Amino acid sequence: MNDVFVQTCWLVPIYSLIGSVLTLPWSLGLVRRTGPRPAAYLNLLMTLFACLHGSIALSRIWNHPSQQLVFDWLQAADLTISLSVDISPVSVGALELVAGISFLAQLYALGYMEKDWSLARFYGLMGFFEAALSGLAISDSLFLSYALLEVLTLSTYLLVGFWYAQPLVVTAARDAFLTKRVGDIILLMGIVALSAYGAGLSFSELQSWVETSPLPSGTATWLGLALIAGPLGKCAQFPLNLWLDEAMEGPNPAGIMRNSIVVSAGAYVLIKLQPVFILSPIAEDALIIVGTITAIGASLMAVAQIDIKRTLSHSTSAYLGLVFVAVGLGHVDIAFLLLFSHAIAKSLLFMSIGSIIYNITNQNVTEMGGLWSRMPATTTAFVVGSAGLVGVLPLGMFWTWTRWFNGNWAVSWWLLGLLMFVNALSALNLTRVFRLVFLGDPQPKTRRVPEVGWPMAVPMVTLTAMTLLGPWVPQKWPYWLSATAPLGNAELPIVRYSIALIVASGLLGCIVGFRLVLRRAWARPLKVWLRFFQDLFAYDFYIEKAYNLTIVWAVASISKLMAWLDRYVVDGAVNLVGLVTVFSGQALRYNVTGRGQFYVLTIAIATGLLALWSFFGLN
Amino acid sequence: MLSALILIPFIGAGLLAVLPNRFSSSQVKWVAIAIASLAFVVNIIVGYQFDPNQISFQFEEVIPWIDGIGFNYHLGIDGLSLSLLFLNSFLTVLALMSSDRDLPRPRLYYALMLLINVGVSGAFIAQDLLLFFLFYELEIIPLYLLIAIWGGKRRAYAATKFLIYTAVSGILILAAFLGIAFLSGANTFDYETLRSAGLPFEIQLVLLIALLIGFGIKIPVFPFHTWLPDAHVEASTPVSMLLAGVLLKLGTYGLLRFGLGLFLEAWSYLAPWLAVAAAISALYGASCAIAQQDMKKVVAYSSIGHMAFILLSLAATTRLSIIATICQTIAHGLISALLFFLVGVVYKKTGSRDVNQLRGLLNPERGLPVTGSLTILAAMASAGIPGMVGFVAEFLVFRGSFPIFPIPTLFCMVGTGLTAVYFLLMINRVFFGRLSDMVTYLPPVGWGDRVPAIALSIIIFILGIQPNWMVRWSEAQVGRLIAPETVAQVTVLNPKGD
Repeated sequence: MNDVFVQTCWLVPIYSLIGSVLTLPWSLGLVRRTGPRPAAYLNLLMTLFACLHGSIALSRIWNHPSQQLVFDWLQAADLTISLSVDISPVSVGALELVAGISFLAQLYALGYMEKDWSLARFYGLMGFFEAALSGLAISDSLFLSYALLEVLTLSTYLLVGFWYAQPLVVTAARDAFLTKRVGDIILLMGIVALSAYGAGLSFSELQSWVETSPLPSGTATWLGLALIAGPLGKCAQFPLNLWLDEAMEGPNPAGIMRNSIVVSAGAYVLIKLQPVFILSPIAEDALIIVGTITAIGASLMAVAQIDIKRTLSHSTSAYLGLVFVAVGLGHVDIAFLLLFSHAIAKSLLFMSIGSIIYNITNQNVTEMGGLWSRMPATTTAFVVGSAGLVGVLPLGMFWTWTRWFNGNWAVSWWLLGLLMFVNALSALNLTRVFRLVFLGDPQPKTRRVPEVGWPMAVPMVTLTAMTLLGPWVPQKWPYWLSATAPLGNAELPIVRYSIALIVASGLLGCIVGFRLVLRRAWARPLKVWLRFFQDLFAYDFYIEKAYNLTIVWAVASISKLMAWLDRYVVDGAVNLVGLVTVFSGQALRYNVTGRGQFYVLTIAIATGLLALWSFFGLN
Repeated sequence: MLSALILIPFIGAGLLAVLPNRFSSSQVKWVAIAIASLAFVVNIIVGYQFDPNQISFQFEEVIPWIDGIGFNYHLGIDGLSLSLLFLNSFLTVLALMSSDRDLPRPRLYYALMLLINVGVSGAFIAQDLLLFFLFYELEIIPLYLLIAIWGGKRRAYAATKFLIYTAVSGILILAAFLGIAFLSGANTFDYETLRSAGLPFEIQLVLLIALLIGFGIKIPVFPFHTWLPDAHVEASTPVSMLLAGVLLKLGTYGLLRFGLGLFLEAWSYLAPWLAVAAAISALYGASCAIAQQDMKKVVAYSSIGHMAFILLSLAATTRLSIIATICQTIAHGLISALLFFLVGVVYKKTGSRDVNQLRGLLNPERGLPVTGSLTILAAMASAGIPGMVGFVAEFLVFRGSFPIFPIPTLFCMVGTGLTAVYFLLMINRVFFGRLSDMVTYLPPVGWGDRVPAIALSIIIFILGIQPNWMVRWSEAQVGRLIAPETVAQVTVLNPKGD
């Protein structure tokens, strides 16, 4: 495989980076005459290049084994770090997915961000974002992946903080950065340890290293847990889940990327690290436990939200929780499939609600209604996206779950229960949002709403079509989503009727969602226990308060205490020494009297003392 | 060749001091910049002729000075000094560029700035213990005057505190140097000769402790650090840049060259304690920084936290960790200089450094958008975001120290995590949000206030993406430093011979 397009695959992330750098003259205000639009067009063009290059490479590499390109980066003493790039149908496919969704999101942003004066800065950040994501897709080096995850953290911070003048945005950007950073630092600890224990830092080497690993089990457990922490933060899993919800304050086109691809990027790294987790059963269990808690908790939180973006962002955490469970069980192919189906459906849902927010400049679902006849394309997008997410017959998630239970994998009843729960609540939530937003009587804010213009409609409709066609991908191109087994061959399911039960759970969720009494102006239930649960879910199980009372409080008070100690105790001691010196000098100066006798006396006493000391002390 | 590095700024300082009065302040500034750039060019030539694969000292110059006690004017460099020399002459040029255009008493000011350059360069290339000490002391006096004359409100207090602390540090170092020279009976201060002196362990220990406290004050390590925040707050921006960028590095360089180099046996005995001290210092600096209200103090305490990483990797004493020491020294020098410069710009334009007063400075029309963006970049570099030099350096520090001292290393990594916390808090308050009414209609930031920042940022990026350019100078010499008896075994590490 010496094809030019394949060999230069590593250029694809660079395209977006170039696009990002090219926006600088506009975002810095050096070019004002043209307005910021050319920056946007340049970025779209570069992303289009990335798309084309990616698809040519993908078609050339089809049915070929994966290969690695290695670039030497750093050589210091006994440490060699090389950055390697993996070119396989899986990675180039991921690259293509990133470039594709990014292209659609940027096209969408052309409409959504139309009136924003710092459009150039936005596109610069999006290019940066896309570069990091596509780099992650083809990276074969844990070191490089870590670096790119950190770059993602930074660009999330900058994108969420895009409208930096708003107070909620300021805290959201800060929380997003710091929460992810906690995960990143722990991941870095894991990587440093891994490298110190002699593992090469490329994913392909990791596998062989694990097989001959000399690690004791305790160390392996800590290592495994540390490596989980990074993806945990990226995928917004409990206990690092809140940033994603807050990050909804950022611009929506970035939200499309964030909820579909960025969270997947974390899971992608997790999947690649999966061989290491085999070393430690505790780490695998931790993955399953964290995933389950998040899947259940986030599904419940989503049901009680009234901000249209937040109703969906919690569900992102829930689905990524399922991916964690899949990785913990070792079902890597299912994890890939889940990510793929979720990414496409979720980005479509976010495009749909973005159109609504753009038109009525409001995010509160209780103030919307009757939009179906006014925004048909948006409505279609929402319905298709929802169907893709909850597992309705011909769409992506249905096939994913079918595969999970088709007998190739060791699955048990609790997993079925978990899936049914997530699916039912997801269906309920989406039905509830659909009723509030699209059905019912038009509300004052939604009475005269037009459908969005073409820059937003075109990507939305394209993505609708992609969601509908999505299920064919794993059928037709099995190697895209799985490096190992072709997924087509079904065997006898271990859990019978599982698919029927899952579909039934979705149906149940829909029915409950339709039967639910939804008030608009007055959304609080009268019964006390209902209120309790509503508050519990709506305020995210009070996790934020718990943080404020524990870790945030601890860091703040320790730092205040330290600063106080520094100022008054450590520096105080220093100043005390100074004062003592000054005062003793002041006091002693009265001895300088000018009388010769006094000086002679002083000298005599001192000499006497010295003589005594030398006489008695030195024998 | 090496003498030129000392003589050019030295003669230049003298020249500036006697310049006729009719030269305006900005003309004096340009003369000073020209002199410093000349020194930088000489430095580049030295770097060009330097052979990174040669293990021993290069460009040696020996002139006997006081024969009776074996004191020679002995210069020479190896890879460790060379990178620090580069840092010093580069930052001096930038610090001169960022000096105010209409300073009072410009001739004295620029002469003193050049004298600092003389002292630091001299200390980095001196191969004689007493000569190092002379240069080390030489740099104190101009710095004292720079703080005491051009400083802020409490400048007298800060300058005196600095002077006393550093004088104590100097006395301890001198005591240790005299101790090794006299107790070994070698009657020389020559570095190479003393390396093979072979003192008894107890004496090594005593001398090393004196050196540790002496250089510990300079670095500074908790609890000897309290002079630093005061000095930084009162010093003007260029002086802060030099102080954080190169002067603190004399402490770590001294420990590396003399502490580790002369007393390896005692050093390895004390190393676990040093690692613990480094971890404490890192966490202490970070947590103090979180609570500060003055932007300059935040950066000053962050310096304490980041200098501790150098101590950690010095303590680990592996080949990788010594290389990491150099990297972190350079990284911290560049990043802290950039941060102090940017804080200086904010102060110059708004008249305040108080995080409670400033708000929304990122505003593109009436705020300081470019300065703000660069500050975010500098903060991210300091927090160790990949792609910038801080990440490479910290990764090498942690990777180099982890196998030897895992627990202190993990605590230091927590310190890195906290870096993001305090810088983000500062940025969020100062640059995000709505522009506060107090600071509207700021004077525009000219290119003079941007060029040094942009130059630093570019270097930070370049070294972050291509760290080999930072590492390759010192590769060969490191092995010799930590294992003197195995000189013969150290092979050429870079067979590609780039």
